[in-house]
Amino acid sequence: MAEAEVVSETFEAPVEPESLDLVQDRLAAFWAHDESVSPADRLRLELAVVEVVANIVEHAFALDADRRGRMLTVELSMSADRVEAVLSDNGVPASLDLGAVTMPDADATSGRGLALAVAAVDEVGYDRVDGCNQWRLVCRRTAD
Amino acid sequence: MIEFDVRTTDDGIGVVVPRGRLNMVAARELRETLTGLVDSGTPRIVVDLAETTFLDSSALGALVAGLKTARQAGGDLRIARPTESVMTVFRLTNLDKVLRPRDDVESAFHG
Repeated sequence: MAEAEVVSETFEAPVEPESLDLVQDRLAAFWAHDESVSPADRLRLELAVVEVVANIVEHAFALDADRRGRMLTVELSMSADRVEAVLSDNGVPASLDLGAVTMPDADATSGRGLALAVAAVDEVGYDRVDGCNQWRLVCRRTAD
Repeated sequence: MIEFDVRTTDDGIGVVVPRGRLNMVAARELRETLTGLVDSGTPRIVVDLAETTFLDSSALGALVAGLKTARQAGGDLRIARPTESVMTVFRLTNLDKVLRPRDDVESAFHG
């Protein structure tokens, strides 16, 4: 891939647990654009994407009585030095402080999701944009 | 997509083999499978992760819950043969000490 070239792909998925497999299938297919992305980097981005999608499914619509029109948009992109995902959903605003996310103790049976996303990739950003939640996950590519 | 193989060895040890991705959808099934084994009198369980291609935080939660349930019933839950992907998740979440991987299913309860 040329230095400045960016390959990207955007798709939508319903906000439901079953969409996780769809998102993971699309991500697996996306890597075909550049076989040189290392297995470790592929896993790091996949982990962060899965954890944030799971978080959206669990929380973003919990207080929203209207089940129709719930949509998740996933934009994947890769360049010579990074792989990235932007996830947008039209659910209620997420109330969270990413800086305060910590890994729970070993005996916890939940609560590891966002901590795992933060641990897996180099950047996890959250913003409210045009009435949507927007998550940006960036993994700087490593050699191995 | 995931499939679970469940069997009980001659020694009375339950062996669960998840084949595929252990994400949010599959984690529920894993938790039910583990609880079902303990409830039916099989509190010693090995989860064979050799064919688990991906594992997320909800699956970790199911394993930790299964571990607690098994121990409360006088047994234990051990994991065997994790793939590199799965080991990465254990390390990132500091669970590699609690869910210490065993080299094979047969010896998981020996030593």
